[in-house]
Amino acid sequence: MSQWNRLWKFGSILLLAYVVVRGFSTPLQPGLVEAEPNALSEGRQNISFLAVGQPFLRPGEKESDFQLILKSGNDLLQTELTGVEPHKVSAKVNIPPSLPSPALDAYLFTPSVGTLFLGNAFFVEGTAKGPIPPDFQTAIPENPAPELGFSFPYQPNIMESIRNLLWHVPMWFAMFFVMGIGFFASLAQLRTGQVHWDHRAEAAVRTGLVFGILGLITGSLWARFTWGAWWVSDPQLNGALVTVLLYSGYMVLRAAMGDDDRVGRLSAVYNVFAFVMLVILLMVLPRYTESLHPGKDGNPGFNSYDLDNSLRAVFYPAVIGWGALCYWMYSLRLRMNRIQHHLLFQ
Amino acid sequence: MATGFSTTLKTALAVASMEWRLEWRQGHQLASVGLFAIASVYVAFQAADHETATGAWTAMLWLVYLFSGFTAVGRLFDRERSSTRRYLQWTVEPMGLIVGKLAHAVLTTTALTALVFAAFVLFLGWPSGIESASRPGLLILSAWLGGFSMTTTLVFVTAMASQVQSGSGALGAVLGLPLLLPQLILVTRFTRGALDGTPWGMLGELPLFLAALSAGTSVIACILFPYIWRA
Repeated sequence: MSQWNRLWKFGSILLLAYVVVRGFSTPLQPGLVEAEPNALSEGRQNISFLAVGQPFLRPGEKESDFQLILKSGNDLLQTELTGVEPHKVSAKVNIPPSLPSPALDAYLFTPSVGTLFLGNAFFVEGTAKGPIPPDFQTAIPENPAPELGFSFPYQPNIMESIRNLLWHVPMWFAMFFVMGIGFFASLAQLRTGQVHWDHRAEAAVRTGLVFGILGLITGSLWARFTWGAWWVSDPQLNGALVTVLLYSGYMVLRAAMGDDDRVGRLSAVYNVFAFVMLVILLMVLPRYTESLHPGKDGNPGFNSYDLDNSLRAVFYPAVIGWGALCYWMYSLRLRMNRIQHHLLFQ
Repeated sequence: MATGFSTTLKTALAVASMEWRLEWRQGHQLASVGLFAIASVYVAFQAADHETATGAWTAMLWLVYLFSGFTAVGRLFDRERSSTRRYLQWTVEPMGLIVGKLAHAVLTTTALTALVFAAFVLFLGWPSGIESASRPGLLILSAWLGGFSMTTTLVFVTAMASQVQSGSGALGAVLGLPLLLPQLILVTRFTRGALDGTPWGMLGELPLFLAALSAGTSVIACILFPYIWRA
């Protein structure tokens, strides 16, 4: 038994070490992030793109292996590449007098990393609405399968911050897990009135609160990067904050009661109430209202992250690792509660 | 102590009418809540200085209401601190007691809603740019529903805080505010919508959410109250 105990604790540390190393060292797939200039007009002009992630120019590849195409409506507009650097592409484009749509999407066809896409890259001013004249048009080139190796998917806006998925999401999972333990411990405490259930509930809420606060902090960092603000008023975020405040209320209640012998029963009542609110606030309400937060707005999973196999290979260990670490912290606190109780009453 | 649905109902009625009679005999308590509410509205009126956007108007209305609600509901279990508590513990079924207390609290806060709302419109008028509420019925519904859902939560929190010997007034606020946040978020959105005439389709689910949230909290409160009471 103690052998097994040592094994899973050691295992959780190993898993988290793997997650940290893999999570930070895995390269991001390339993606176009920015187009220059913002507005184009009729005639020849220079354009350029900045990219993030792995370099799309690999050793031995030439400029002529690449092709950049702009798309307006359903018509394809040809361009002439003038420079390809690891994270930058420049080209010349001749804007025709008529375009089906003033918004241009960009497609960069590469020899080894697939097709990179940037929607609404340019906005063209002063052209007539109509099809692109045939001699400005081009055809879709041959597109070899990308060889990206082990890399994380590129998502617009999220970019490199996709690594936060390995911290933020498993931390909330761990919080749910340990608060669930607390909920069942409180139910058992109300049913039986035995004090050891109260020890479990207190340890669970205390640990869960730590993970909830960490989840808020990592979420706030992520919000700053992707939405541009440390905090926004959003059903999911409100629910998360209220949940953490609720459980802080649990700690306040216990502290206010001191060593009153009704503390177990009263805090169990509060904990059951708090857990029901947690389920309503974090799992029910956000799904029925509009939310910026992924995985909400009627979508129960987090498919919107397009978890690909490389991300899964780090994400699942992260979930198990954080969960195990959380349980370890809970069991330490539980032992402390038992010892304190023993010292007080025996 | 008999149990059963009709007994619970009878007990609830008895408790509610006892509360109501006591409230009128000790008139100063009701009067002090009303005074607190009107004084807060007057402070809001002075602070706003005749220029109130819809958002600020709604915020002030619900802040005044929130703290008046705390004073109104916060003393609901004050009498049960003493020997009355021991008497009720032996004679009254806990489920009936909490239902009666809930009924009484809802009645009191409904009156409080009417008072705060009337005073608000009287002193501050409507938000600037708005002649009168675009949907008066909806506005009244939002005020009542908001008050109702706050009350159900507050009754539970007060019952809990009254068990703690020291400093239960502050404890009630600490435990109550986070629990009331979701209701406040929903109800302020609802009130704003009713004021500036947001299409019904965009508001449609807010009253439902509010009603569901208050129904949920009151059901949990009724289930859990016996455990608090017997402690």
